[in-house]
Formats: sequence, structure tokens, C-alpha cells
Amino acid sequence: MTSSTVDSARPAAADRRRPARPPSGRRNGDPVAGYLFLSPWIVGMLLLTVGPMAASLYLSFTDYNLFTTPGWVGLDNYRRLFDDDRWLQSVRVTAGYVLLAVPLKLAAALAVAMLLNQRRRGQGFYRAAFYGPSLIGASVSVAIVWKALFSDDAVVDRLLSSVGLDSGGWVGNPDFSLLMLVLLAAWQFGAPMVIFLAGLKQVPAELYEAAEVDGAGRARRFWSVTLPMISPVLFFNLLLETINSFQIFTSAYVIGGRNGSPAGSTLFYTVYLYDRGFTDFRMGYASAMAWMLLLGVGLVTAMLFRTARGWVHYSGDDR
Amino acid sequence: MTPASRAAGAATRRRRLGSVGWHLAAVALLAVILYPVVWVVSASFKPSGSIVGSLELFPQDPTLGNYQRAAEGMAGISVLRFFWNSAVLAVLAVVGTVASSALAGYAFARLRFRGRTVLFVLMISTLLLPFHVLIVPQYAVFQKLGLVDTYVPLLAGKFLAAEAFFVFLMVQFMRGIPHELDESARIDGAGPWGIFWHVVLPLSRPAMVTTAIFTFIWTWNDFLAPLIYLSTPDKYPLPLALQLYIDQTTLSDYGALMAMSMLALLPVIGFFLFFQRLLVDGVATSGLKG
Amino acid sequence: MAILKRFTRSLAIAAALSLVATGTVACGDDTESGEVALRYSWWGNADRADLMQQAIDLFEEQNPGITVTPSFQEYEAYWQKLTTETAGGNMPDVLQMDFSYLREYADRGVLGGLDEHVGTDLVLDDLLAGFDGAGAVDGTLYAVPVGGNTWSMFYNPALFEQAGVPAPAIGWTWEDYHTAMATIKAETGTYGGGNYTGVIYNLEAQLRQEGGALFTEDGRLGFSKERLARFWQQGMDLIEQDVVLPVETAVQIKPASLWVDDLAASDLSWDNFLTRYAGETDTEIRLGPVPSNNPGQLGQYLKPAMLLSTSAGTEHPEAAARLISFMINDPEVGRIFGGNRGLPATNAQRDAAELDGPLAAVAAYEETIADQLTQAPPAPPRGAGSIEAAFIRISEELHYGRIGVAEAVDQLFAEAEEILEP
Repeated sequence: MTSSTVDSARPAAADRRRPARPPSGRRNGDPVAGYLFLSPWIVGMLLLTVGPMAASLYLSFTDYNLFTTPGWVGLDNYRRLFDDDRWLQSVRVTAGYVLLAVPLKLAAALAVAMLLNQRRRGQGFYRAAFYGPSLIGASVSVAIVWKALFSDDAVVDRLLSSVGLDSGGWVGNPDFSLLMLVLLAAWQFGAPMVIFLAGLKQVPAELYEAAEVDGAGRARRFWSVTLPMISPVLFFNLLLETINSFQIFTSAYVIGGRNGSPAGSTLFYTVYLYDRGFTDFRMGYASAMAWMLLLGVGLVTAMLFRTARGWVHYSGDDR
Repeated sequence: MTPASRAAGAATRRRRLGSVGWHLAAVALLAVILYPVVWVVSASFKPSGSIVGSLELFPQDPTLGNYQRAAEGMAGISVLRFFWNSAVLAVLAVVGTVASSALAGYAFARLRFRGRTVLFVLMISTLLLPFHVLIVPQYAVFQKLGLVDTYVPLLAGKFLAAEAFFVFLMVQFMRGIPHELDESARIDGAGPWGIFWHVVLPLSRPAMVTTAIFTFIWTWNDFLAPLIYLSTPDKYPLPLALQLYIDQTTLSDYGALMAMSMLALLPVIGFFLFFQRLLVDGVATSGLKG
Repeated sequence: MAILKRFTRSLAIAAALSLVATGTVACGDDTESGEVALRYSWWGNADRADLMQQAIDLFEEQNPGITVTPSFQEYEAYWQKLTTETAGGNMPDVLQMDFSYLREYADRGVLGGLDEHVGTDLVLDDLLAGFDGAGAVDGTLYAVPVGGNTWSMFYNPALFEQAGVPAPAIGWTWEDYHTAMATIKAETGTYGGGNYTGVIYNLEAQLRQEGGALFTEDGRLGFSKERLARFWQQGMDLIEQDVVLPVETAVQIKPASLWVDDLAASDLSWDNFLTRYAGETDTEIRLGPVPSNNPGQLGQYLKPAMLLSTSAGTEHPEAAARLISFMINDPEVGRIFGGNRGLPATNAQRDAAELDGPLAAVAAYEETIADQLTQAPPAPPRGAGSIEAAFIRISEELHYGRIGVAEAVDQLFAEAEEILEP
């Protein structure tokens, strides 16, 4: 068997190899290498993240108004949250949004990625085209256009009426405005789609061939080969889409404004947080909101990691 | 014609029909999905006043005026300058993010050391805090260092693997690479760096390409960080310039906004088209053979 | 892969170099002796940026030794940036200020006091009479008005005529207005107006006509629950009669106004918004006085729409004051801007600004009611902006029928109490 390092054909690479080392004991690990590789990350954490995170935690126990020295108020901010109707509303709106948008977006992303994973002509074009909505991003121009498309007597309204469905309006209807934003999120499935594609590319062709030889049909191949092999990226997408959806801001802010028009139906968590922190100068309160969000999403994340052990399969793991 | 070639002919015909069907389905799906994008394109040719509240897809009286105004730039700064600023930021961000995320991802995915789990949890937790509450403390840090109104605050995080999204992405991909390859490299005498450079990194190409693409797009479209840190207008990247078209207290120029958004989209599309070719299969599967 | 590696490596080297370069390019403020560098921030659009640059060039010409570095964003982004900069200790030297935020900033000590410069670097003699004392908070001057506006009625003369309704004129009451709207709806099918009870400034107008004010001297609400209930009930009556634009439509057309597609025949708003409205429709829109039940008392005042302040921490307070003085007084600046900043606050600039089109109409309108404009109220208390937003939000829920008037009133008072807490 020839050396299995991929670029053994390049002699220059051999020169860069370190002098032969005894294989490091698996049990002891290799802290030097570990921390060396992590050093940029550690520096970044200390400088840019840990400090500000700690600061925001501290501020959540104060009445910080951005301009004057913060004064300690203990758990007051947190207590007031539970009396705050608008906060509760924002939690409801955000949770509803996440429950609808994430599955929809992931399903669309996986479906289209599988569609594009075949060797067809014009692959590159199709990939770019389906990625188009994500390229244009969650920008102001898109939000404006999206709002226009869902207005009364506009495209969506007319399409639905032609099949006899009437939502009673979208943009101006508090019962459907959230759905409009869910669709906007799902429409931008390009990012998870690209990640699914990358994951699909890593599935060795031999596995499919072997399954086919064994007589497995399309569906069987999907469940037994594809899904397990892409479970790492599926988990990644699930986790990150969930985390990101909890923090939706720009499109919500452009469409619903600081009040979550209409009638608070688009009052997302971060929109309310921003409103309180920056426009109301209640940064202490907003920081408390932020840490509550961290707790909530952290719980969801922990749960996801837990269940992951059941269904995520890493082909290269030494666990 | 032999029975074999007749069967082969039939199979080819079936494949072609299937191919045509596939293409038809894909195009139909695309039509629906790209409809809003088409709307933005067509809005960029509509006179500014008739964009908000307009119901028709195609402009009644198409105009190039929006593009003319967008191309003028603003406050004496040419629009090319905004493009250049965005390009510098995006390219540097890509380099920094790919490099630092790969390093950190490898550490989490492959190396064993005390505290790995704790640090991993810490890394994930950085994703959970909304950025709006971190802005002020982070700004204060850079202000003390005298680095506001430079690109340093915008890029520092990229070079220091501060984007947990990409570190985690790398981790997930690297964990999918079989350990047998590591073992072979180790037997040949490679240490952790050698394994990283010769085995893991090359096989992580899809992840790196994905990271590059996303980083480029997100940096290109990033509005908040440049807003907070940059004061001198000729350092503004595109999104900062774009928002000047929608000032509500004066006259909003939605036409120019759409036109400029279109123009801003071109380099992003170019970058994506170039890099997504690297996502093509071939490397991934061949590397796992033998 | 090899290409990628080489590419990456050379990029990395370039990256390191440019990172160092960009870091060193932006030096801080002035350092050479005599040279004064001012940072000047404002909000606006691309047009205003061009005009500002001209004004700045002019200032630098007339004041060698002072350089002005501009920074600008659109309105919402401006405040986000300004709050962050202020919290981080990096406020610009001269900044544009809004009346509703004035107290928020002044009370917290981040704005520079301007009294000591009045008469020397800061010339205020030429301010319009209506701006006397504007920009002062608790006796100290913190901001100077640059331009002003006043609340007014916008109406579509063609529709009014078509319905046979007399045009708005001084002396017409709120009942007259309601009747007019109903007639227009009946005769022409177009809504008579927007639902004005959704905006707090209409309540303010009515209160001032009754001799009251929106906020009391000590920063509390200047009206009772019962008064508010009456105000909002009027709005509900109008909805029931179907003479005003329904809330669903109003929400949908945002950020445009109801003048797009000529959805209604009238609306109440700040008079300098005529420029915006005129751009949204081709039909002629005219300005008229706000209705009043108290003849002789329009309740309108000249509001400073845009002010200029300095930061408390500026290293060059005199130069900053001089810049402000220049921006409000210099006739050439008035000519450059025309009506871009609204109607100029000083006589010199009003004369110099060659106002045309909508702004000429606005100026003419303000002229006609000039003797009716009363003293502006003091700077609104901290949290006024939030109360304004709460008012809009709660009345929206009210108009959707999600809550009743009594509940809405209770909600507003509860929120106001929480917001106005010191």
C-alpha cells in the first residue's frame, strides 16, 4: 500500500515534516499542541469576547443608562422582566417564529441540496441561482420588497385568492404577519443548502454503490446512507439555524419597526432588546434580557447536543 | 441494431427525458424562488416614488436614473471607493477567518487536552449572546486602544477565530475525516502540525470553501460593526453608504437604494461563482480511497 | 490545492501588511500646534452630505487652522452610533441633536454648556422670535436650533372642492374637520383623512388649545386618563363611521405616507414634511391650519426640528461654538442648503435660502400663522421619545380592536409612569 497521505506526490511537502516523533499517548493527550493551535482563539476570546460578556453580565444587575455610572440594582431587572407584558409578547413571538422557520428552512435546504447533488449540466449555474436569495441577504432592500409582495392585492394575495384562499391580508394582519417573516427566513435557505451540499459531497460514492448492489432503493439509500453520513452537518445546521433564528433582527426591524407592528405581532426578542437598550437608554434592563436569552437558547442548545449523541454519526471519531 | 445497442439507446432516451424533467422542475422552482429577486432588479429601474406601494412587477416607465444616481457616489466620494473598502474588508476577513477557524477547529476536533470540553462549551456559548449588548463594551475596549475609526476592530475578530460559527463548522467537518489517515501519517512520522497540514486541511476543503464564501458575503453585507466603528465617510463600506438612501427625515431614495443594492450584489455573485466551483466533488471522495 | 496554498500564503502576507497600514493611517485628533480638528456628525441623506461638504469647505476657508471631519448616517443609524460613541467616551465635537432626545443627553451631562460662548463665538441675536429659549434645559443652553417646523394640516384641495367642503381655514373646529372628512368620504369615496388620534402631537395640539400642555413642568403627563379616553374615543368613532384610513392599510404602506396613491384627503403632520409628501404623489397638496375649538388659540408653536450641540468632553469648545454659529448664521450656508434642513432658524438664512416649490409653500404658510405661533414648550422630559412610540403602538392595538379604550388608557399611563420614573 502506498502512503495514504493525499499529497505524497509533492516532494516539497516532505521537507516540511517535523522530525519523527513517537506517537503521543492517547491517554495523556497533547496539551502543548492543543493550546498552540488554539492560541489565536484564546487571544481573541480574552480580548474581544470574555471581557465584554462579563461586562454585560455585570451591567444586567445595574441601572446602566449608557451615559452615567451604573448603579447596582441586583435582581431587579430580571424580576421586572416577568411583569413586562411586552417582554412576554416578544418571547412568544420569537419562540413561535423559531418553531416554524427552522424546520421549514432546513427541509428546503436539504431538498434543494439533494436536487443539486447530481451530476447535471449547468450545476454551477443552478447552485448560484438557488443561492441567490441568500446572496442578496437579509437586507433592507429585500425587506422592503418582501413587504410589497405581501401587501393587499399584490402577488401573494392574488395567487391565494385565485385558489380561493384568503388570509385577510399579510402585512397589515397581526395574525399572519409572523408567517410572512417565517417565509422570508425559509426563502433564504441558501446558506444551510451550501453546507448540506458540502456535506453531501463528502459522502463516499462507494457507500452508495454498495447499497445499490445490496438492492437498496432511493428512499432506503437516503435513510441508511445519506442521512447518517451527513448527520454532522445536519446537526450543525439545526443548531446554528436555531441559535440564529432566536436572534433575528434586521428584517424584523425593517418590516415591523420598533413597535413590532402590526399590534406587536412582529415584536421579536432582539428588536425589543434594542428598543429598550438603545432607544430607551435602559441598557441594564436590555442586558438582563440578553442574558435571559442566553439562558434560554443555552438550554435549547444543551438539549440538542444531548440528543445528538443518539443520531449524529461521526465517521472519524475516536470517542 | 443489436438488442444490446437497442437497450442502450432506450436507456439513453430515458436518461435524457429524466434529465429534461429534472431541468424543468429545477427551473420552475427557481422561478418561484427568484421572483422577489427579480422584483428587486425591476424596482431598480422604477422611478423612486413608485417603488413603495407599487403592485406591478415590471416598471411602467423604466428609467436608468437610479443607476445614475447610485453611480454618482456621495459627498464627493466615488462609489468605487465604497466598493474598494468593502472589497478590502471582505478579502482580509476571508483570509483571517479561514486560517484561524481551521486552526481552532483542528484543536477542538482532533487534539486531546485538558479543558477541551470546557473551552468548546465556552465557544458555543459565544453564539448565544445578542450582539447588541456586546457592542458598547467592545467599543470601549477599542476606544481605549485608540483603534476606533480604523479597520482593526472590524478585522481583529476574524483573525482571532472569534466567529464561533466557522470554528464549529470546521469541527464538524474535521470530525468526519477518518482517523486511519491520521494514523498512517503518524506512522510516517508526522506530528500534530504535519497531520493538520497534510491530512486534515486538504480534506477540509469543502468546509474552507464554505467558510470563505460565507465570510465574504457576510462581511460584504455587514452594517452594524462598520457603523459603530467608522466615522470617516471615505472609509465606509457599501452597506454604510447604502443606508443613506433611506433617511426618513429627508427624502428617501428607494430607487437608488435598489440600484445600489444591485450593483453591490455583482462582486458577491462573482466571488460565489468562482469559489463554489471548488466545492465540486472529486477531491473529497478520492482522498478517502485506499 | 497547491494553488490555493500559495494564494493563501501571499494573501496572508498582504493581509498582515495592510492591517498594520490601516491601523496606522487613522491617527487621532490634531497634534500640531495651532491646528484644531473638529469632528462633526449629523444625520441626513446623500444630498445633505453633498451640501454639508460645501458648507464645511466654506467654514474652513474662513477659519484657517480649523479642520472639520464630517461623519454622517441616516437618522436611525445616527442615534445608534451616537449612543455607542457617547457610552464609549468618544463623542464628536459638534453633533446634530433632536428635540425629543435633548434632555436625555443634557441631563446626563454629556453635552457642553453653551452659555459662556453666547455673544462671542456663538451669535444668537438673529434667531427667529419663536426660537427664544429653545435648546435650553433647566436654564442652561445646550443646543441651538438650526431649522424649525410646526404642526399643520395637509389637504388635497381637489378632493375638498369635489366634495363641496370649504378648505381648512383659521377658525375651523375639530367638529368641522370630522364633518369635512365624512362628507369627503361620502361624496368622493376617498377617505377623509388619516386617523389622527394615533399620533401624540394631535393630543398635544388639543391640549395646548385648551391652555394645557403635553408634559408638566416637572416632567409628568399633562393630561388626565379621562382626557385621553375622550381623545381616543373620538378616533374609535371615526373608525366606526369609516371615514378615516383603516389601520391595516396604514401599517402596510409604511414607510410611505398615505399620500402615496392618494389614499386619503387630509392628514396632520410637521409642515416641512411637505417635501417628502410632494415627492410621493403628483396631486397637489396644500397646507392649512390645525383645527381648534378655541378661537384665537391654534396651539401651534415653532418647534426646533434640528439642533446643534457640542459634547461636554470636547477639547475645543470655542471652535465648536464657532462652527455652530457659522452653520446657523452664515447667509451663504443658508443659500447652499436652501430648504434641505427644513426652514432655517435665523432671519439671515431664511432670506438667503432661495426656497422653491414645497418649501416656499411651507414658508408662506408659516408666515400666515406667524402671529398665532406661541412659545415652544420646554424640552420634553427624558423618555418622551419612548412615550411617543408607546402612544403609536397602543393606539395601533386599539384601532385593530385588540383592546378597548379604557384598557388602552390604563396601558399608556402604566407605561408612562414607568418610563418617566427618574
